[in-house]
Amino acid sequence: METRRPRLSPDELQLLRWLLGGVVMLLAIATVFYLDIDSDLLAGIAAAGVLVALARPALPARVPVWGHRLAFPAIVLFFAGDLWLTGQLLPSIVRLDLLLLLYRGVSHRARRDDLQIVVLGLFLIVVAGVLTVSLLFAAQILVFTACALGLLLVVTIAASSEGGQAPKLAVRGVVPLWAAHADWGRLFRRLREISDWRIVLAGGGLFFGVIAVSGLLFLMIPRFQLENSLFLERFVTKKAMTGFNDSIKFGDITEITQDDGIAFDVDVSDPAQAPSRPYWRMIVLDQYHNGGFTLSPGMKSRDVFGREHTEANLRTGSDGTRGAPTWTFYLESGVSRYLPILGRFDVLRFREAQNFRYSFDLLLVALRDEPATMTAYRVEGMAPDSNQLSDPTFARRWRNRAVPGGLSLQLKLELSAADRAAVAGVTAGVAPAAGTDAGAFAQAASALLRSQHAYSLSPHIPAGLGDPLVRWMSSREPGHCELFAGALFLMARSAGFPARVVTGFKGGTWNAYSGNYTIRNSDAHAWVEIWDEQRGAWLRADPLEAAAGRNTSADKADALAGMTDRSWSARINSIRVFWYRRIVNFDQQSQVDTLRAIKNATDNSGKWLRSAIAGSAARIKGWFLGPWDGARIARMAGAAAAAAGVAWILVAGRWRIAALGRGRRRDPVRREAGRWLTRLDGPPALVTDLQRLRYGAAPTWPRPADVFRRARQAARSGRRRPSASRSTS
Amino acid sequence: MSATAASGRRHLWRRVLWSLVWPSRHERIQPTLSGVVLIGLSLGIGTAAYNSASNILFIALSLLLACLILSGVLSWLNLRRLAWQLEIQPPLRAGQETEVGLQLLNGKRYIPTYALWFEFAATPFNRGEPARPESTVTGRGIDVWATLAKVQEAAMGGSVHLRTRLDPGGEARLGWIFTPPRRGLLRIELLGVGSLFPFGFLRKLTGTDMRREVPVWPAPVEYRRFSGAGPRRPSGDLQQARAGNEGEMIALRRYESGDSHRLIHWKASARTGRLLVRQYSAQNSETCSIWLTTDAAVWGRPEQFELLMSFAATLAQDLFCAGRLQSAAIDDGPQSPMRRVADLESFLDRLAEAQPRPAPPEGRAAGSERGPRRSNLLTFEPEGARGIAAFINGNKTAAT
Repeated sequence: METRRPRLSPDELQLLRWLLGGVVMLLAIATVFYLDIDSDLLAGIAAAGVLVALARPALPARVPVWGHRLAFPAIVLFFAGDLWLTGQLLPSIVRLDLLLLLYRGVSHRARRDDLQIVVLGLFLIVVAGVLTVSLLFAAQILVFTACALGLLLVVTIAASSEGGQAPKLAVRGVVPLWAAHADWGRLFRRLREISDWRIVLAGGGLFFGVIAVSGLLFLMIPRFQLENSLFLERFVTKKAMTGFNDSIKFGDITEITQDDGIAFDVDVSDPAQAPSRPYWRMIVLDQYHNGGFTLSPGMKSRDVFGREHTEANLRTGSDGTRGAPTWTFYLESGVSRYLPILGRFDVLRFREAQNFRYSFDLLLVALRDEPATMTAYRVEGMAPDSNQLSDPTFARRWRNRAVPGGLSLQLKLELSAADRAAVAGVTAGVAPAAGTDAGAFAQAASALLRSQHAYSLSPHIPAGLGDPLVRWMSSREPGHCELFAGALFLMARSAGFPARVVTGFKGGTWNAYSGNYTIRNSDAHAWVEIWDEQRGAWLRADPLEAAAGRNTSADKADALAGMTDRSWSARINSIRVFWYRRIVNFDQQSQVDTLRAIKNATDNSGKWLRSAIAGSAARIKGWFLGPWDGARIARMAGAAAAAAGVAWILVAGRWRIAALGRGRRRDPVRREAGRWLTRLDGPPALVTDLQRLRYGAAPTWPRPADVFRRARQAARSGRRRPSASRSTS
Repeated sequence: MSATAASGRRHLWRRVLWSLVWPSRHERIQPTLSGVVLIGLSLGIGTAAYNSASNILFIALSLLLACLILSGVLSWLNLRRLAWQLEIQPPLRAGQETEVGLQLLNGKRYIPTYALWFEFAATPFNRGEPARPESTVTGRGIDVWATLAKVQEAAMGGSVHLRTRLDPGGEARLGWIFTPPRRGLLRIELLGVGSLFPFGFLRKLTGTDMRREVPVWPAPVEYRRFSGAGPRRPSGDLQQARAGNEGEMIALRRYESGDSHRLIHWKASARTGRLLVRQYSAQNSETCSIWLTTDAAVWGRPEQFELLMSFAATLAQDLFCAGRLQSAAIDDGPQSPMRRVADLESFLDRLAEAQPRPAPPEGRAAGSERGPRRSNLLTFEPEGARGIAAFINGNKTAAT
């Protein structure tokens, strides 16, 4: 029996096609807003244009014919000019894509144009995904896929409803019928009418099936690395935060701390070895001049940094720390081209070949270009956290300091004589007590600074002549970490200790859900490293950190518990970390591991199933072999009779329900007609129609919607009549 | 049972794999423009993914491939449990529009069927020819192509689209209207069921073995009649008894379907054990018999031969409607009585297939000289280069 479900008319299908096309375009345009390629204005214009055309489908017919003729040459000219002026290929292509989408959005489309917007939209979304590696990409491409498939489905059905003729390009200047009579409210009502829970369920199921299949394909697609990498991000330049360059001014780090965004996440293979207050080193700055720290040219030289490598692995030659955990870093884009590191390590592995330079002496890894996307790397054999950094090269240089030339001794104070005297004056209160012990000096100097200055993110540097940092040291004004670190740096050098400022991050939170460190920009920090001749290493000296005493494991556990984050943002962040761990960072090894895990799980499940079946069989066998007496037989007979009775009731009841359903009650039209018959005392013709809907054969039915509308009208008039009679009386 | 099932499964897989290598007739899957774009995108994104090891690109590639798989699954579901039946209502006449009906039934319980089209073909053929092309392995290339071109030229084709949704359990009827250009035997085939559903990536055509072979009667022609030259009533001894339903009984014959029950001779039927009916002599003697000769020597021009067939068919039909057609014969065949519509249709069927007869051997007469010696015999002769004239007893009765 043919059902009577309503169908969308060809015009309604065309309107739905227009709607889905608009949504696809808007989804694609939205990606440009977080691409950071200076195209927000154009993206806004494109989105507005598409939205207006979406709301008023008849408007595109008003675009003059010459507008259509000039559109393509104008777009090409724009692209050529854009590329010539900016010299950036990818942003120019993205803007070209936006213009094409805008044009397609504000003109009536043929079938190939719908295909074009799908391709253009997919390009934007994939580019945005590759450049941002954001979790948002996953959500966006799923929604985009659903809408694009819906659009292609509607295009196919619409073409079929027109006898296989694909919708031809609308005649310029003529409003198509479907656009002239566009009524979104009516379309949505019609969509609601035709939607059936089975269709919705099947559609949803198929969509999740697509996701499942694509997930499976993602896992199964064979991976192998071509060493001729195509870096899409090369075509986009991105500026890092000013605080993590090799040249900073006072306030740069503090400015970063105002931002609560995530700087990087770190996975530790053995959380038991996770330090409670790690210092993530990024840049070493050995030169101070007039309120600014820089990495001196000598330190940037090839002697210190060596040549540039283009490799996927960096082996430092260190023995590494035996039993050290593996650390996986997910460094967000825009943080720095210097990679955060805890200490000496054995191997650093990138996901793909990178251009980088490495300085063993400074323990710095600097990428050649600012990463435009999240950068993942794994560090093996790295000490969890150490407050000292051995430096044999500097130790040798320090021992031979009398010999001129060679590397800087990092003792130089580029200050005027007055400032130098002022610094010496401040240092004088510390140095005699500390003697030649760098550690003692650092503690004493830090204590002195803390006693004289409070910590504040809004510091005040007194006005006056001379170096600003020296002025602050001489005052009792509050300051931030950079001022504290700078002051300790000057004091150490003044006291004859080689010193340098280090910037990076301190601490972070421990995500309780994903089990990893999350370091935010607000954790940005600056501290000092002072050369300890006795140990032959650089000692970390943080003037804002009280004297270290928490070295016991209990204290460490307490500290780790204190930094544990169980908030909602941690929950959301755990999804992002999952995305990075399982999707973005998925490689050949992960694939092998996953397949092995699946194989193990399957083996284990099989074993469990076999043992469960064997156990059940043994129990059943034991039960049968048990002694049978009269009472047991009677109990069994009773149970069998009860089961048979229940089965009979169920089967009979089900049969009755099925019979009713086949006949009357399951049909919503019959049910609705029955409801109206019980509560309505309408005109005989209406009652007859309702009775036919309730009891009659479906082929003889009048149109149910009309009958129910008449019934509603009759009910309303029936309610009005008594009130009217009351008012007249 | 398990061995049989396993064997069945093995054979199923073998069939499926073999069908991929050697698809059955009219079984085609071609990428559309969207499909080509999708495949191109997949290749491009796949290359970029392997080049950059970017998992984002691998995700995009996986999604594209999953969409392709989904497209295949939906396409399969769309065609699943869909039944169709060809409905052709003969007679077909050359030059006249006719409709080939297709009855559709969606046997699925929950899933409707969308966006299908049905490809029809009508190909002339000669009796005895195979329904399917023979192997072309032994044929020379030029012959094969020439044959294929000839068949292609003669074939007519068309497609009909299912414009609306076919609901679960629903039925629909589609019709392909075409005009047979010439008489002959026509093989009407449902070549395949095509689908772009769901996303238009692939143009899938499923072949069918559904075909019907029907004769196409010659096209009716206009002709001129000549008064006073019609069949005449024979007089005296020359009057012949012929089958009719009036006058005196002249014979008994076997009962045939369509005969009046009143004509059954019950006694004779009881004696012989089979139904026999009475045959009476006809009272109306102004009838005639058609005798059509198809000698190639006489009808050398193909156009003229076709016109002859049309003329003969038109005359036979007109005379039968007027009740004046006694019998008809082609060449040396026996005169078949024209008592019922089925007799006329049978004659028209033979006209549909008639071909020029090769010239007889030397020393053998051709044409009317060999004809049966009976009165009121309607014969045909060429008239000029293009025309044809019909004669009764040597008198020109009608001409084209």
